[in-house]
Amino acid sequence: METAAIQTHGLTRRFGALTAVDDVTFSVAPGQFFGFLGPNGAGKSTTIKMLTGLLEPTAGTVQILGQPFTASALELKRQIGVVPEGMALMGRLTATEYLNFVGRMYGLDRATTNQRTQELLEFMQLANENKKLVTDFSHGMQKKLALAAAVIHGPKVLFLDEPFEGVDAIAAGMLKTMLQGMIHRGATIFLTTHVLEIVERLCSHVAIISQGRLVANGSLEALRAGVASTLPGAAAEQRLTLEEIFLSIVGGQQESTQELSWLS
Amino acid sequence: MALVGGAGAGGGPLSRLARAQYAGLARLRWSMFSHGLRTNRGALELGARAFSYLAYCGMGLGMGAGMGFTTYFLVAGGKWRLLPIVFWVLALLWQAIPIMLASFQEQFDLGILLRFPVRFESYMLLYMVFGLLDISTILGSLACLGIWIGVAAARPDLLGWATLSLAVFAVFNILLVRTVFAWIDRWLAQRRTREILGAVFMLGLLSLQVLNPALYQKRHARRTGADERAAQLREAEARYQPWLQQADSVQQWLPPGLAAQALRQGQAHDGLGVLTSLDALGLYAVLVGGLLALRLRAEYRGENLGSAPARVRVAPNRVRTLSPVYEDKTSATLVGSGPIAAIIEKDVRSLLRTLPLLYAIGAPLLLVLVFSGAFIHNGGGSSAPVFPLSLPVCMVYAQLGFTQIFYNSLGTEGAGIQLYFLSPTPIRTVLLAKNLLHSCLFAVVAAVAGVLAGLRLGIPDPEVTAATASWLLFSLPCNLTAGNLFSLKMPYRVNPGRISRQRGSSANALLSLLVQLGVLAVGAAVFAACWYLDRMGLATPIFLILAVAAFLLWHRVLASTDAIAYQRRDALMATLMKTD
Repeated sequence: METAAIQTHGLTRRFGALTAVDDVTFSVAPGQFFGFLGPNGAGKSTTIKMLTGLLEPTAGTVQILGQPFTASALELKRQIGVVPEGMALMGRLTATEYLNFVGRMYGLDRATTNQRTQELLEFMQLANENKKLVTDFSHGMQKKLALAAAVIHGPKVLFLDEPFEGVDAIAAGMLKTMLQGMIHRGATIFLTTHVLEIVERLCSHVAIISQGRLVANGSLEALRAGVASTLPGAAAEQRLTLEEIFLSIVGGQQESTQELSWLS
Repeated sequence: MALVGGAGAGGGPLSRLARAQYAGLARLRWSMFSHGLRTNRGALELGARAFSYLAYCGMGLGMGAGMGFTTYFLVAGGKWRLLPIVFWVLALLWQAIPIMLASFQEQFDLGILLRFPVRFESYMLLYMVFGLLDISTILGSLACLGIWIGVAAARPDLLGWATLSLAVFAVFNILLVRTVFAWIDRWLAQRRTREILGAVFMLGLLSLQVLNPALYQKRHARRTGADERAAQLREAEARYQPWLQQADSVQQWLPPGLAAQALRQGQAHDGLGVLTSLDALGLYAVLVGGLLALRLRAEYRGENLGSAPARVRVAPNRVRTLSPVYEDKTSATLVGSGPIAAIIEKDVRSLLRTLPLLYAIGAPLLLVLVFSGAFIHNGGGSSAPVFPLSLPVCMVYAQLGFTQIFYNSLGTEGAGIQLYFLSPTPIRTVLLAKNLLHSCLFAVVAAVAGVLAGLRLGIPDPEVTAATASWLLFSLPCNLTAGNLFSLKMPYRVNPGRISRQRGSSANALLSLLVQLGVLAVGAAVFAACWYLDRMGLATPIFLILAVAAFLLWHRVLASTDAIAYQRRDALMATLMKTD
């Protein structure tokens, strides 16, 4: 049996009385593009933080590439790349300086770091912004830089928390191509986003979390078939979009009947 | 529609809508305050802040008493010509103190209000009211009170004029502090002006250091007996009399001079003159208020200050070329590729772009300058040091300037703190790199301060020099040990682009000062004992033994920082990633 790239078992995180993530168990196979979806406050970012060592789980375990992953598992950290929620950027550096710094923090030598930095800046179309400090970058440029920093060391597993937020359509297309290229070369990508079209286009497998609990997990086709089987007659024969699947699973179809009468 | 005060942002700063907004803001502040008390850290912060305010009040009372007595003697003795000096000292202190202590104060940024329909007048009013009870206002107001009591005790008939004059003077200073900060923040926000400001600051600092020995030598050569000194003073007074008169004629048209002049004219029953002086002083206040309003108006209109250099026009058909071999053109590179070299390089780059930290490093040298100047005035021999323990005292001053750097070493990282937890570099390596850099910086500052002290105050005794150096070897690891713990357990976000409106942490500031006082007390005890026993040579080995113990403690604590950091990573990231 093939070792899972990411494996969680009973992953739980409580903040006082609130259980943000409740007994979440799933597995991501190597080479999989995995979409992790959920409504606001469902526990997506908390889960990704626990998977990347930014947050200690209250209970449960995480395994990356078959090894137990804790915050102090330094060797394992070399194998993963992360675009976290806060992007982990350093505002007082230029993009070149930042990527140089990140590469060396991941153990690359200076020459390799310099070469990859230049290639990444060209690829991300940031090479002409070299005199600007990161703090002056637009949100989209910062996202691109954060993604460049996440891949500079050539990770085997990539965690992306809303990587396309604020990125223009041209750059988004380019990034998608890059990520698909990584998948072809055997990397595993764990993606959270609210843009369901992106997940539908890129991801082969999807998990949905709602109110801290995993409510669906499987290939896109399996989820589609599962939801279709619950629908009556003609509706079941239509090809459902991911948005319809998502709304069906998390209960979004029960829209509020109340109106905000004061809103023009 | 149930809008308070009608639609839109109509009405003045005291309209119904504005008052509702003030009430909302007050409730917000109260909620933030009460929520802050939910945690132990919040309660500690409150206690530390209360203690800090008491300490500031104590300092203010001391300043007020000093200025009050000086004013009393000047007014009672009829020395009206010297009275402006008191006002000048007060004005300078009023402006200088907040710059020295800005990073340790928690201040509320009103920028968040700009998304709401707040009128400019309300925004300005709030800007003036918020932070009114800061250190400079407390100290300045108490000093004004001291002057007022001094005048009232010496000349009760001048009470009315003194009240009016000091009130206008206080308003002027309060406005000036805010204006200076608002404009400095504006200049710091843009890369080009920040670099110019940084260069001016460093140039000023260097000029003082260059001038220092020259001034010292001039004074030093003149230091002789009391009678001869008095004669020299008279001679200098006669020589510089035209210049002094010219300076006096200029200063009396400046705010401190006008405030003093109003009192002088009051005692001469020149009511019209008093009113003229006060009008002129009020005009200055209006002018400064106008400059402040100009800056706030720009902020209010949604000014977006960036650090970007001026936009470069790019040719439309410019073809991007990828150089086959990348050349690292960045400065400040160290030998070696490892994380320690990377962190040091990164911190050096960040430091050179962070004026508040540059100021923190440079300020001790200014303090040494001021401090040693005080000793020179007290007289002394020509070659022997004026005060035998002047060197260690100067070193203590130099070290105090590093408080923020040692005790909040992660404060400027912002969202970058996440990277340290994501990367395979342990936190202890990060702290080790920072400790190495900070030690080197401190060594440079201490060396400059030592040379400066030697030039100003005379070459210290070799035994004192050796004891001071070994005390530094003891105190540095002590401060780094406590600093590493404080940086992880009670960090606070430092906005590298600002001097004012920083979040700060009263608890960190207070406790770090207590630790430093403890280290200082150990040093003072050893020095005092060796001095008393007349065996100064004994201090060096004692300090070296203590230094070894301190180094071992630092090493042990550094090894445990990974565990502390991982345990506290959530709180650490939440604190340092707060946006302003």
